[in-house]
Amino acid sequence: MPTHREPALRTVGLRKAFGDHVAVDDIHLTVPAGSFYGLVGPNGAGKTTTLAMAVGLLRPDAGSAEIFGVDVWRDTVRAKGLIGVLPDGNAMPERLTGREVLTYLGLLRGMRPDVVAERTGELLQVLELDSAERTLVIEYSTGMRKKIGLAVALLHAPRLLVLDEPFEAVDPVSAATIKGILRRFAAGGGSVIISSHVMALVEQLCDQVGVISDGRVVAAGPLADVRGAGTLEDAFVGLVGARAGGAEGLAWLTS
Amino acid sequence: MAHLLTPGPAALAQHMIRMRLALMRNSLRGDNATNLYTYGSLGLILAFGTIAVAVLWPAYLPITLALWLFGWIFGPILIGGGSEALRPEYFSMLPATPGRIATALLAGAFAGPAPAVNLIALLSLPVYGWRFGPAGVLIGLAAALTTLITMVMISRVIVALIGLFVRSRATAATVGIVTGTAIALCSNGWAPVVAVGGTDTAAWSQILVRVLPSGWGVAAVEAPWPLALAILAAGAGVIALLLAAWAGLLARRVVSAARGGVPPRRGTPRPFPATGGARIIAAKELRAWWRDLVRIQLLATAFSFAVVTPLLLLALDAWVMVPFTGLIAIVMAAASSANLYGADGTALWLTLMIPGAERADVRGRQRAWLLVVGPAAVVLSLAGALVSGQTWAWPWILGLLPALLGGGAGIIVLLAVTSLVPGTDPHKRGGNPLSTGADESAETSLAYLVLIAVPATALPTAGAILLHPWAGIATGVLTGALFAWGLGRIAYRRLGNHGIDLLNLMKHGPAPQAAEPAGADLPIQHRIGVTISYTVAWLPLIPQGLVPMVMKIFGIEDRGWFLALHLPPVWQWPTIIFMIAVGLLMYGYAILIPMRLNSPPSAATR
Repeated sequence: MPTHREPALRTVGLRKAFGDHVAVDDIHLTVPAGSFYGLVGPNGAGKTTTLAMAVGLLRPDAGSAEIFGVDVWRDTVRAKGLIGVLPDGNAMPERLTGREVLTYLGLLRGMRPDVVAERTGELLQVLELDSAERTLVIEYSTGMRKKIGLAVALLHAPRLLVLDEPFEAVDPVSAATIKGILRRFAAGGGSVIISSHVMALVEQLCDQVGVISDGRVVAAGPLADVRGAGTLEDAFVGLVGARAGGAEGLAWLTS
Repeated sequence: MAHLLTPGPAALAQHMIRMRLALMRNSLRGDNATNLYTYGSLGLILAFGTIAVAVLWPAYLPITLALWLFGWIFGPILIGGGSEALRPEYFSMLPATPGRIATALLAGAFAGPAPAVNLIALLSLPVYGWRFGPAGVLIGLAAALTTLITMVMISRVIVALIGLFVRSRATAATVGIVTGTAIALCSNGWAPVVAVGGTDTAAWSQILVRVLPSGWGVAAVEAPWPLALAILAAGAGVIALLLAAWAGLLARRVVSAARGGVPPRRGTPRPFPATGGARIIAAKELRAWWRDLVRIQLLATAFSFAVVTPLLLLALDAWVMVPFTGLIAIVMAAASSANLYGADGTALWLTLMIPGAERADVRGRQRAWLLVVGPAAVVLSLAGALVSGQTWAWPWILGLLPALLGGGAGIIVLLAVTSLVPGTDPHKRGGNPLSTGADESAETSLAYLVLIAVPATALPTAGAILLHPWAGIATGVLTGALFAWGLGRIAYRRLGNHGIDLLNLMKHGPAPQAAEPAGADLPIQHRIGVTISYTVAWLPLIPQGLVPMVMKIFGIEDRGWFLALHLPPVWQWPTIIFMIAVGLLMYGYAILIPMRLNSPPSAATR
């Protein structure tokens, strides 16, 4: 039986290959319930692929994922009821306005119409999307798309939020709003997983961190343990073994 | 020191040509390569056929060249606005005038297979000129070049116009109506031609095909040389005008924000009905039908084809098809809705993340499609039957109407989940609002599949009507309901089991599977065979099989270009049956071979 003691998310040996390229190789992650978890890694490390497999949007070649003890691939329906997801780069019902998207998805989930209307209004207002009442999602800016995606993830009050790059292309004011919402969600007992490659942001928000590089977990645990004495950025560069370039070559730029 | 020098026109053009060739080389894999070889060989056959026309039947050369021109005009419309290998957007930051970029892009546009094939076809002009001596050959050569450039330019200007001006429902519907009419002319255009006796060398038609840009070359070759030079000069002037127009259009396109095919709106949208399940999906879908220019264009194509095709036969005073306008509209509308999930792109993830929403999604889409197509089809059917006064047609209409509507509603959702053709996500589509970014030949194959599958669902009803005229109504309602329910059920079950695979097919393309066993892909000779079958199978089946059959049944005398009707009576029925059989066999081959050769690996992924 799943209880609150179960981790919010646990993946065991997740693996995914696209053709010859192994995107994710044997990923074990445990996200404690009630934690604010940051999944970091360089571009192409496999963050998006891992999260997609964890929430049931991509079938893994091997391994399993559990959400509050519910197996994502065996008990899909129950697992999906527990999570709100913001995937990176997926389409929305593009020909609807923001309000229509939320109304439509809320009703499709079988929520009561008055609850849907109330939450939709509040979400649009808090995320400052209520001024674009006549704009279809297809005409939204990248930042607006992120915000409506977050609203979709929050609408049914899930227990776990899985957000892939929630702050990418979001302006500082909106980012502050989103951070506020996520902190309140976590403070109220909710669990959050975000992926990002902005280290400062992860340090600011998260209490748990997982570092992925080349499809493998290279470090995971409480933020303080992973970053050690320095900043998370220094620890990250050390962990992924990257050489911070940009100092040599390009001599013609300065002439 | 900033580098401020702009490359000269010749260098710029040279770079464009190289870039275009590099793009082509890199895309020559898998299906793209097959398509290139198939269409390339078909094009070469047609090109050498054109030269043969110039040698053997020179009187028909102008009309043959006019067909090439129509190809350049309607080709881009038919395949959704034309695929542009070199998009003007790529070069918007080059420090050069629009005119110079347009010239260079034009040079790039010629570095492809289609212009090369067309140039071979246009070599018919110097061949034709041989009859008029060496000067004729020279003029023919010059005319071949100017005609080629004019044809390509006309095509480019049309693509640019579509990209720039299809921004409203009215323009999208107009493009759809033009397309539907063009397809109707391809299938039944022979009727008015037969009616006005277009096969003789009547003066007006000879003048018409010479006045078209495609015929100037013939006119120049035939003219005395001062006039010939004048015609060639006029041709060069037209090219300059087209180039200027194109440059202007490109410049406007690059600075006008692409809106992804969204028509303008006024006022706040009507609120969603407070309901759930399939109804809420249907409400969403109805909004999509009304707000998506691609869907509006496709519907307009379907309905205009359905209306124009029977009307063309009226030229022969044949009213046979008029009562069936609505039925044709159903089949065509189904064919243009076959890629329902592909058209939405990765938005499918939302359905997949909502527990148990797959069933509502499929049922809602069926409901919305029936609401969009059904009433119009019923009105067209009733109007067609009443106007034509063909009372014998009533049982057929009343029986086939529910059968086809139900069959269509079932087939489209089934194929949408079994044969999805991935496109570009709607919000990532480029400057061309009518292009979905999907592989056009795959989408066309899917449409053909619907064109066969939907009428097939009505076969039991047709049989019942033959047994007893009024037994068809009950059978039609019954089979229609059964197909809509049953195929929809298969569809949502498959969406439940394979939804994630569909989502990732749209997100990442079909690459991972194709990379594994090399045998999973069709061998090249089968792929060429399948494409050729899809392209030409309608010829024996419809105009050489079904049409003469109908004409023989109804005792229509005109023999037209129907092979069977020109033969002695003993051979007529065997020829018709042979032609139908050949057509069906080609379709069967084209559909079954890929299924057979592809099924083992896809079954293994379950």
